[in-house]
Amino acid sequence: MSAPVAIVEARGVGKVYPMPAGPVEALRDVSFTVEPGDYVAISGPSGCGKSTLLHLLGCVDTPSAGSLLFEGRPVLAMGEEERSRIRLRRIGFVFQRFYLLPMLTAWENVELVQSEAGMPAAERRARTRELLEYVGLGDRTSHRPSQLSGGEMQRVAIARALANRPGLVLADEPTGELDDETGEQIGGLFDRVNADGTTLVIVTHNLALAARARRRLAMRSGRLLDSPVRAAP
Amino acid sequence: MSPLQFAWRSLSRQPARAVLGLTGVAVVGALLFDMLLLSRGLIVSFRQLLESTGFDVRVTATEALPGLGPPVADASAAAETLRRLPELADVVPVRFAAAGIESPDKKAREVAIIGSETRRRGEWQVLRGADLTESTAGGRHDMVVNRTFARDHALEPGSIVRLTSTLPPKEFRVTGIVEFPFESASDGMAGVTLAGFAEAFPASEADEADLLLVASKPGVGTEAAVAAIRGARPDLHSFSIDEVLERLRQAEFSYFRQVSFVLATIASFFALLLVTTLLTVSVNQRLGEVAALRALGFSRKRIVADLVAESALLVGGGGLLSIPLGFLLARGLDSILRQMPGLPLRLHFFVFEPRALALHLGFLVLAAVIAATYPVVLATRLPIAATLRKESVS
Repeated sequence: MSAPVAIVEARGVGKVYPMPAGPVEALRDVSFTVEPGDYVAISGPSGCGKSTLLHLLGCVDTPSAGSLLFEGRPVLAMGEEERSRIRLRRIGFVFQRFYLLPMLTAWENVELVQSEAGMPAAERRARTRELLEYVGLGDRTSHRPSQLSGGEMQRVAIARALANRPGLVLADEPTGELDDETGEQIGGLFDRVNADGTTLVIVTHNLALAARARRRLAMRSGRLLDSPVRAAP
Repeated sequence: MSPLQFAWRSLSRQPARAVLGLTGVAVVGALLFDMLLLSRGLIVSFRQLLESTGFDVRVTATEALPGLGPPVADASAAAETLRRLPELADVVPVRFAAAGIESPDKKAREVAIIGSETRRRGEWQVLRGADLTESTAGGRHDMVVNRTFARDHALEPGSIVRLTSTLPPKEFRVTGIVEFPFESASDGMAGVTLAGFAEAFPASEADEADLLLVASKPGVGTEAAVAAIRGARPDLHSFSIDEVLERLRQAEFSYFRQVSFVLATIASFFALLLVTTLLTVSVNQRLGEVAALRALGFSRKRIVADLVAESALLVGGGGLLSIPLGFLLARGLDSILRQMPGLPLRLHFFVFEPRALALHLGFLVLAAVIAATYPVVLATRLPIAATLRKESVS
């Protein structure tokens, strides 16, 4: 029986941004694998390359060096449309600033990505209801983002990230805009999402949130530090 | 959610901006629509006037347009020759001149006199009283007068008109109040028989005509009638209505065409500028949101479709409003322009044609697409990762 394919496999990945003052090396020789079911937290000081790594893992960007495989397929060989399709169907994103569409209700924000993925209407409705109840917002479905608290908006964003049943959910500073108590609640929600089978990679400054992950990685100056901490499952 | 529904929600997110955009497009669109009505309005209106006479060919002595060149000599012989052509249904010699007339305040005034045979087709429409006859009862020829002439000189059927430009002055009996196709609101006009015309202008050659009005036989067609006239009398010049209009289009009406072209271009430019600015500002305000949508897997095509739909809603909504607004504006502008002295009463500058509406809609579709181009390029070329990073930092 063959081993399950890693969701993401990075080997010697580097990322250089051309800047007016000269190229900036945001990532250097990063090797890293995300296995199905993983719960990974990446921490490090600002500007160390955490978000850049997350964007590479999420096929938002492509590496300047090294090889990056998403579910066994080389990301560099994919066109923009294919990466877009993978992001829509196989990856969920949770942003620090939520990025919910302000003119849509919580329900519509969650339904939109499913509609974009071509999910049938009846299935969409059932999935949206299920997800909003899952994140504890079953009674706030018709509220717009402006009528929700920060924690509620992030819950909607998590529901949206899960909408197309992705293999991987990436979260970039998901508690960055929240107070400690709300951040704790969001952390609890992430625990549940992972426990229910979704692979999670979280980039965060929040040590309490990072401590919830089973794998904790540290970054500095574009490098992933050795000996990542692996907590017991 | 379709791009159109999505665009609608995007617009409703900032109602003030949407209303501003719609109003701007409606106003600029109305101006554009009016310029399209003006660009061919005179030609269309003039065609209607020419056609309302019931004659589709004008025959003159030279290449000059009717009324602008020397008269046709031996007009009765020419008319007789043409009447024998099987392609023609009617040939009517017409004379024009201006005559002095004594007004009620005893001041000398001038009135345009048209000499023609008794009405065959649409040379004039009788509004009150009766048409001309060849009668010379009481030594007076019949005369029909337009409403301006009748009003200014208190004329009614049965009144006597005294022309002072002849010695001794000649009197005519008014049989009816009529409307001439080319009469202006301010000028008096009168119609008399050819015999009456010779009486009113004894110095003119008796057998001349400024113009021969010709009607082709039904089913024969104007072109065949013109060809038959040219064959029978190559010394004369015949103009179909299309040829008259083409000459006017190239000369007299070209000014209005140029004005309408320039204003239509300016209006289109402003419509483009307005919608492009609104969409660009809107996209710039939500770069993070666009980058997030792209990160969530929304394709470039979808972003393009959303922006084009938003542009289409702005331009389409404003464009629809621009049509009634354009009609109102056209009515106002038309009534101002028609106050120019000497213009035919029934001539309009702004005339509706389905073609103008189709062109207007075509321009609007083009404007929506072009206006969306820059914001689309901006949104689709957005570096997703860099934008998200920048937004997080900001």
